[in-house]
Amino acid sequence: MKVFLRILPFFVLGLSSAFATEYNNLYWAPPNVTVGGKEIDKILNFIFWLTLFVFVATQTVYITYLVKYRRKPGVKAHYSHGNNFLEIIWTTIPVLIFLGLAIYSNRVWKDLFRDPPPDALQVNISSYQFGWDFRYPGADGKLAAVHVKEITPENKFGVRADDPDAADDFTATELVFPAGKPLHILLNARDVIHSFYVPSFRLYQDAVPGRTISWVWFIVEEPGEFQLACSQLCGSGHYNMKAPIRVLPQEEYDEWYAGKVQAAAQARALETQNSVQTAAN
Amino acid sequence: MSAITAEPHVSAGHSHHQEPGFFHKYLWTYDHKMIGIQYLWTALFFLFIGGGLALLVRYQLAWPNTQVPIIGHLLPNTLAVDGAIIPGGYNMLVTMHATLMVFFVVMPLLIGTFGNFLIPLQIGAGDMAFPLLNELSYWLYVLSGFIILAAFFAPAGAPGTGWTAYAPLSADGKFNGTQAGQSLWGIAIFVNGLSSIAGATNYITTVVNMRAPGMHMFRMPLATWSLFITAILLLLAVPVLSAAAAMLFADLNLGTSFFKPEGGGQPLLWQHLFWFFGHPEVYILILPAMGFVSEIMATHSRKPIFGYKAMVYAMIAIGFLGFIVWGHHMFVSGMNLTLSATFSVATMFIAVPSAIKTFNWMGTVWRGSIEFTTAMCFALAFVTMFVIGGLSGIFMASTPVDLFVHHTYFIVAHFHYVIFGGSIFAIFGAIYFWFPKMFGVLLNEKLGKVHFFLTFIFFNIAFFPMHNLGLGGMMRRIADPPIYDHLRQLQPLNQISTIGAIGLGFTTFIFLWNIAVSLRNRKSHPAPNNPWHANTLEWTVASPPGHGNFPVTPTVYHGPYEYSVPGLEKDYLPQTEPAPAHVKLEAH
Repeated sequence: MKVFLRILPFFVLGLSSAFATEYNNLYWAPPNVTVGGKEIDKILNFIFWLTLFVFVATQTVYITYLVKYRRKPGVKAHYSHGNNFLEIIWTTIPVLIFLGLAIYSNRVWKDLFRDPPPDALQVNISSYQFGWDFRYPGADGKLAAVHVKEITPENKFGVRADDPDAADDFTATELVFPAGKPLHILLNARDVIHSFYVPSFRLYQDAVPGRTISWVWFIVEEPGEFQLACSQLCGSGHYNMKAPIRVLPQEEYDEWYAGKVQAAAQARALETQNSVQTAAN
Repeated sequence: MSAITAEPHVSAGHSHHQEPGFFHKYLWTYDHKMIGIQYLWTALFFLFIGGGLALLVRYQLAWPNTQVPIIGHLLPNTLAVDGAIIPGGYNMLVTMHATLMVFFVVMPLLIGTFGNFLIPLQIGAGDMAFPLLNELSYWLYVLSGFIILAAFFAPAGAPGTGWTAYAPLSADGKFNGTQAGQSLWGIAIFVNGLSSIAGATNYITTVVNMRAPGMHMFRMPLATWSLFITAILLLLAVPVLSAAAAMLFADLNLGTSFFKPEGGGQPLLWQHLFWFFGHPEVYILILPAMGFVSEIMATHSRKPIFGYKAMVYAMIAIGFLGFIVWGHHMFVSGMNLTLSATFSVATMFIAVPSAIKTFNWMGTVWRGSIEFTTAMCFALAFVTMFVIGGLSGIFMASTPVDLFVHHTYFIVAHFHYVIFGGSIFAIFGAIYFWFPKMFGVLLNEKLGKVHFFLTFIFFNIAFFPMHNLGLGGMMRRIADPPIYDHLRQLQPLNQISTIGAIGLGFTTFIFLWNIAVSLRNRKSHPAPNNPWHANTLEWTVASPPGHGNFPVTPTVYHGPYEYSVPGLEKDYLPQTEPAPAHVKLEAH
């Protein structure tokens, strides 16, 4: 039985390797693409080898005992209530290991959430049942501030109409950004809690209604296409609440951006024209 | 203190006690043993419902949007259309599975069943301190069970917001679409909480006041210790959940805004309240299991528990630390990031007492004389499964790794290893171990072994692949994984897991069959008083014990684990027998 237990993980890993042909890393996880994700994968690997070692070591001893000390006629068990020295040893060692792990983890944690660099591209992400809206700074490069109390079904991003930065902001239904440049996301939710989850980015963050989560930023190193998923149960359409993510080379992104800015300007011009005409009539 | 208090209860003797009628024997009884058995049958009933829901969940994940065989067309249209599970119905199945398993299966089995049955017997008391409260607690549990099942028949169906019921989704009918079902969920949790609070009060009072003469705290069996600490956790944690459930109900129905931001409420408040209960709850679900396993292991290794006091202190440490780690469920919830760091450190530290317990169990089997009964097999497997579940917890305790694995199937694997591989394995072990005391007949060992091996194999097939699914990026609570590009190729893992789950489902019928055939032999093959040659007090009386438990109040002379004492003829020394003069017992 215990032998089976030791084989089982390899058996399962072996099976998944047969199926999951695309992901050929240790756990068949989607490959990491962010700068911060590298540090996360390092801790993940460290904990994996540490726990694997602990598991194999303890189970080897345990199974050996179970086989060696199975009931045999005429052999009496050893009478012992324990050993305080051993208790101290096996209390101290885990304390030290866990303390080390906590310090290591918290260092990386602090580093991941240091202030975003000033040149970071800011995108406002607004989540709702069951989809995503994205808002980009327009030609002035400034994203109008979010006022969570003013978020309504009509004012999806909680932007004030008289905000001068708001005039040229444009919206999108996909998240597009350049590779190699920091992206700073401002997360909002319009109804219930949603979450921003992209396994390849090694990133999960809840979006909470009534507040703006402003500390998440990251750098994706290479261009690629991904899917943004909501990973916080948010209702009957939760399972399908996704949005495309496109990470482009800088030039292609600039092209896309220019196109969007222009389209937004035209739309605004048309709107103004219409309203002027309406007024004239 | 104990010498005075235990006396009057038992001295009544109940020798002139009349055999009660059916109603007073099985339905409205003040006998803690019968109340324990009431809990057992009711919780096993819920186990089958909760397990059935799990199979529907697994079926949908393996073969999404296909017709569920056999029962598909029987499902109500809130769950399935044309026999195939719909996404909203999937959320309901997930929610109800978890709610039933946590509040209506594992807690009642660990605490309701064994807490009631064992505590008075193990401390030498005639009954619980408050027998009426005890029976009331059982019927409150049944009432809450009816309420939660009624949610399936509510307009628009059962709640679908997860057992964690995160607000504001859960707090507003316009968001969740199941206002009635969600309200019933809140009421059921509230009533269930009353039942837990009543039970916990009773256990604490009984343990503190009604121990037999000589039963010092540090002579109590670890099962009773674990239940005692669990009762304290219940008493401190459950009222918070009850309050939160009442606030949720008010938000849903009375127009308050505790958790709704548009009225000035705080969604994160729900999470803080829920997890302030929820994390001690995790230890409420595992501490008694640890106690039962210790009992079974010492008896079947014929050895004293290695480090008895260390075991007790570790449980107390777990109980205390359990109250300051709730934030590790919220690292990425929008909570202050420095708080996350603090909770991460506390979480790392709570792993230490668990490690201590594991090492002490290994020390207990070391140089033992191990007999592999079914009860022992479940107890031994518990340790291994608990180690897997504990080690996978370290991944989430590390805040940066949690960014990656939070809310994925990795956590689903983790807590099923702890709650199924841990608690349920220990419950099965405990049922095999104490069944003779409860019903006066041993369970069939051959069927028991088949039950154990199949459970062990299918459990691992069902739950181990979930680690890989989680690291592969599979989110929890999504009805249709293959619609995501990165999950399509992992679908075979989902199917393997489902096959394991179906196997587990069928295996449980072997267990039921075992209970049925064994009970039939009650008259022909009655169990002896002490079939395992164990030391604790419950084994000194008849199987099953009569009303009032102990014909004479027992006197306790030493700790519960004096096995294989050198110089003694037999390899055990019941707590009621003083050690002969020539034998020296080691201090523990």
